[in-house]
Amino acid sequence: MKNTIKQIFHSGKFLFGFVIFLFILLMCIIYPIFVTADPLQMIGQGNFFKPGTYVSVEESTLEKSYTLQLPKQFSKLDAVLDVDTRAKIQEFLIKQAGVAESEIDVTDAEGLVSLWQANYDPNTKYSGLTSAKRKALKRLDSDIKAAMKDSGVIVAEKNEEGELEQSKVIKDTDYININDVTKKTFILGTDNFGRDVLTELVAATKSSLKIGLLAGLIATAIGLLLGLLAGYVGGLVDNIIIFITNLFTVIPSFVILILISYSVGDKARGIIMVGVIIGLTSWPWTTRSVRSQVISLRNRDHVNLSKLSGHSMFRIIFTDILPYIASYVVMAMILQISSGILAEAQLSMIGLGPATTETATLGLMMQWAMQYSAHLNGSWWAYFPVVILIALISFSLNLMNTGMDQVFNPQLRD
Amino acid sequence: MKRNLQKVMSLLSVSALTLSMMAGCGGSSTDTTTTTETPAATEEASVEETAEETTEEATEETEEATEEATEEADDTAAADADSTPRNETLYFAGQQWGTINDWNPMSANSNNAMAQTQNDQSRELVYETLFMFNMNDGKLYPLLGSEYSWDDGQTELTVKLNPDAKWNDGTQVTAEDVAYTYDTHVKYQSSTGADFSTYIDSFEVVDDTTVVIHAKLGDDGKAINPLKVTNYLAQVYVMQKAYLQTVEERCGEDPDAVKQDSMEDCVTSGPYKNYIANDQKVVLIRDDNYWGQAESMWGKLPVPKYIAHTIYKDNAAGQVALSQGEVDVCQQFITDVQNLWLEDDLPISTWLDDAPYGMCAVMPSMFFNVEKPGLDQKEVRRAIAMAVDYEQIIASAMSGQSPTFDEYPRSVVGPIDAEREYVDFDQLEDLQWSNADVEGANALLDEAGIVDTDGDGIREYNGENLSFKAECPTGWSDWNASMEIVAAAGKNIGIDITTYFPEASSFYDDMTTCNFDICMWSSPGPGMMNPYSKAMFYFSEEYAKLASNWSGNFGHYMNDDAEAILEAIPTETDKDKLKEYYTELSKILLDECPAVALMYRPTLFYAVNESVWTNYPAADDGRNIPPTDCTDGYGIAALYELELVE
Repeated sequence: MKNTIKQIFHSGKFLFGFVIFLFILLMCIIYPIFVTADPLQMIGQGNFFKPGTYVSVEESTLEKSYTLQLPKQFSKLDAVLDVDTRAKIQEFLIKQAGVAESEIDVTDAEGLVSLWQANYDPNTKYSGLTSAKRKALKRLDSDIKAAMKDSGVIVAEKNEEGELEQSKVIKDTDYININDVTKKTFILGTDNFGRDVLTELVAATKSSLKIGLLAGLIATAIGLLLGLLAGYVGGLVDNIIIFITNLFTVIPSFVILILISYSVGDKARGIIMVGVIIGLTSWPWTTRSVRSQVISLRNRDHVNLSKLSGHSMFRIIFTDILPYIASYVVMAMILQISSGILAEAQLSMIGLGPATTETATLGLMMQWAMQYSAHLNGSWWAYFPVVILIALISFSLNLMNTGMDQVFNPQLRD
Repeated sequence: MKRNLQKVMSLLSVSALTLSMMAGCGGSSTDTTTTTETPAATEEASVEETAEETTEEATEETEEATEEATEEADDTAAADADSTPRNETLYFAGQQWGTINDWNPMSANSNNAMAQTQNDQSRELVYETLFMFNMNDGKLYPLLGSEYSWDDGQTELTVKLNPDAKWNDGTQVTAEDVAYTYDTHVKYQSSTGADFSTYIDSFEVVDDTTVVIHAKLGDDGKAINPLKVTNYLAQVYVMQKAYLQTVEERCGEDPDAVKQDSMEDCVTSGPYKNYIANDQKVVLIRDDNYWGQAESMWGKLPVPKYIAHTIYKDNAAGQVALSQGEVDVCQQFITDVQNLWLEDDLPISTWLDDAPYGMCAVMPSMFFNVEKPGLDQKEVRRAIAMAVDYEQIIASAMSGQSPTFDEYPRSVVGPIDAEREYVDFDQLEDLQWSNADVEGANALLDEAGIVDTDGDGIREYNGENLSFKAECPTGWSDWNASMEIVAAAGKNIGIDITTYFPEASSFYDDMTTCNFDICMWSSPGPGMMNPYSKAMFYFSEEYAKLASNWSGNFGHYMNDDAEAILEAIPTETDKDKLKEYYTELSKILLDECPAVALMYRPTLFYAVNESVWTNYPAADDGRNIPPTDCTDGYGIAALYELELVE
């Protein structure tokens, strides 16, 4: 046994897969120790906040500020007036304001702005423009105004009479120390409900692993039991079991999965239920392969000797047959776990997974990201990490499987 | 090397196996692609002959199929190319889902959104109503009818028709047509007929262009509901008498047959008619003889020659098409719609430049089934209502496209100023609750003695755990998310709420037959009947008694006071009295919580792309054209003012 394990860990493929899997597993265990917040808490009010650190604006304005004479990398005006914007301004000046092209020098930012200010009036409805363009020009005008403004924002508060009273001026050289103010970091931003994606992702991985493990165990247990019986007993028992197995193989298991999930109803659909349902629909191929292995084993000499010695059927199965297929069964189980996780993701994506408010799962995260079209508005953080994680889990499991296959299967051994 | 050989051999034998199986199954049912792609295995002697046969047959079949396909493709391509040039076609999205069933305004299942949408502001592209409702100013504008007037006692409504109005076969639209349309609706008991026959007694033809609608009178000699009668003018399409008689004849006057007749040859009066309708798209073509060119109506033809609606698979597909400029007018909910112009710099605009971007007029509300134990207690209903985080719903589920309940406090009326005049909000202040008031909700339940006695974290009522299902149709993303936020609120106050998102059809079954715990549906939009229709939506006992109730009060809430007010409102004309009534109804709504508005929402979403067409209606353009996607009610006026982008 010890030797086998040593051998397995000598396989590079297995080791690589194992390390990835261990990393994911550790993340699921360690992360919640440090971040104890409820992964389903809706913090952000709005859809898909970008990844980054969010600091309290109120505190930032009130907090003691430090003056830093940092060299400005660019002037505000240059930041507003990129090449496209200059072209836009030029087009407006020529077409709508009737300025001669020779008077316009797009390389001179100051000159361009003064021409703009002389000719553009936000309250005039210029003809020959679509309303989208008119609105864009209005936004541009306010951007330019903001960039041209002298530095300094005035903070004012209402006094007792309800009049505004200046309490502070914030200059563009004012900085605060980020450690002085309340802040919140969303490493992977927020999702459509305003939940922290990273915290949710860890919780989701955990529940997906649980579902996968449960489904894998159940499927393997059923498959193994039926396979052993069919293979060893043979005859009528074999016929009946194989008949049932064939039935299940012919009907696509995902269809059965959908039907069962649907009829169970949302109420009962927790992590355990989903795991059990997936397990109950994915055992047929384990049965088939275990059976064929057992059939080839049952006529071996040592089995016949056991039979002659009058050992009971169960003893023969457990001592003379099971150890020979154990490695195979473990490998099959790894594949079952991997496909169980994928099945959960598929189920949740069509809305038949566990309840959103109860648990986070990888499939549910994908489903909501899709519903709120994260893939269309560029909110990659809501779905991409999920995809990567699903891929990593099944990749690592499959890698471990191949590694073990190389060790156990003499034909594949180098 | 040896292993490679093994692999090749195994591959060969597998394909041979597949082939022999195919051959065994016979040529007719074979999957053509597999057979044609595995010629490598034909060297296997045992299956060679049969396999070849199969392959030949299969190839022939494939060839035929390809020929047909190419022909078809050519046809469509040709039709597409010379029939609807981009600069003569206005493309829509978000209205038509799936294939059209029929063109029959009496049918209950037309699925023909572009031609037939009869509600308070009906779609006026193919069929036309007598008047058009404009939700900007709440008035009716003439279409087939030129003027209408009630008599002093509000028992008779006289409608004058526009003498220029013509059917697209050239004959005049007469009072006979108007009366016959109504009689046919009633005779065959279409849903329109069943609905209006409670309020309308009969249509009387005075002369060719004058028709008098006699309202049904109550015991007191007054009309039961004059509002509803007026609403007929803006809601029901006028059909041609001669054509209806043809349909009746070919159907043998069988009610079911008449209601299910496809009416593809229909005679209509609108500016557009059927051109292409299949499972890919629906195209309407302009009728260049449209009567509306007369000076008494528009004085010109609508600008786009074609109205086209590609049938998209889902919202995402429609949204992509909009941002690529393939769609001009989009009636879809778009998450963070402002990013389309702020970040992507696309020529897309909405009714308003800033949140809430649209003209919010309806209130998607959750109804509690008051027949369920637990939900029959007003404390439970109110506690759930108090605990919900509405600001979260508005910010995340609605993506900020709704004003908040701080800006527009709750009542029976919507967030439109014209409606809000009818409610005295000072009187309601004590009944409002603050957002996500979990503490208050918990206190309310504790006080009512509805507590958790067995320690499972869920409160009991009469020994039963308070456990409810909140349902709405699957795939309605903003509603689904709202229900999730309601469920999260339940968790905070010890009430187990799970969400349930069935297919739309089974949701409809549940909702219309009061077989749910908590369900969600949207209040009626703006119309001549508002805010009365919203009051009916929340309280009407009459709706609750319908066998299949699509109208409102889905939770069967019965309140005699509310019912008495609902009966009094239609005949009341004194504005102060009306204000008193609506304020009283709002009080009952907030105190008893039979239903709770979750957000405000536009009746129709409205986002336009100005890549091809421009001069769409916008809030600040002073043209008084409502944002009804250039098709509904007075919103169709936009079609006459569109311009091509230079």
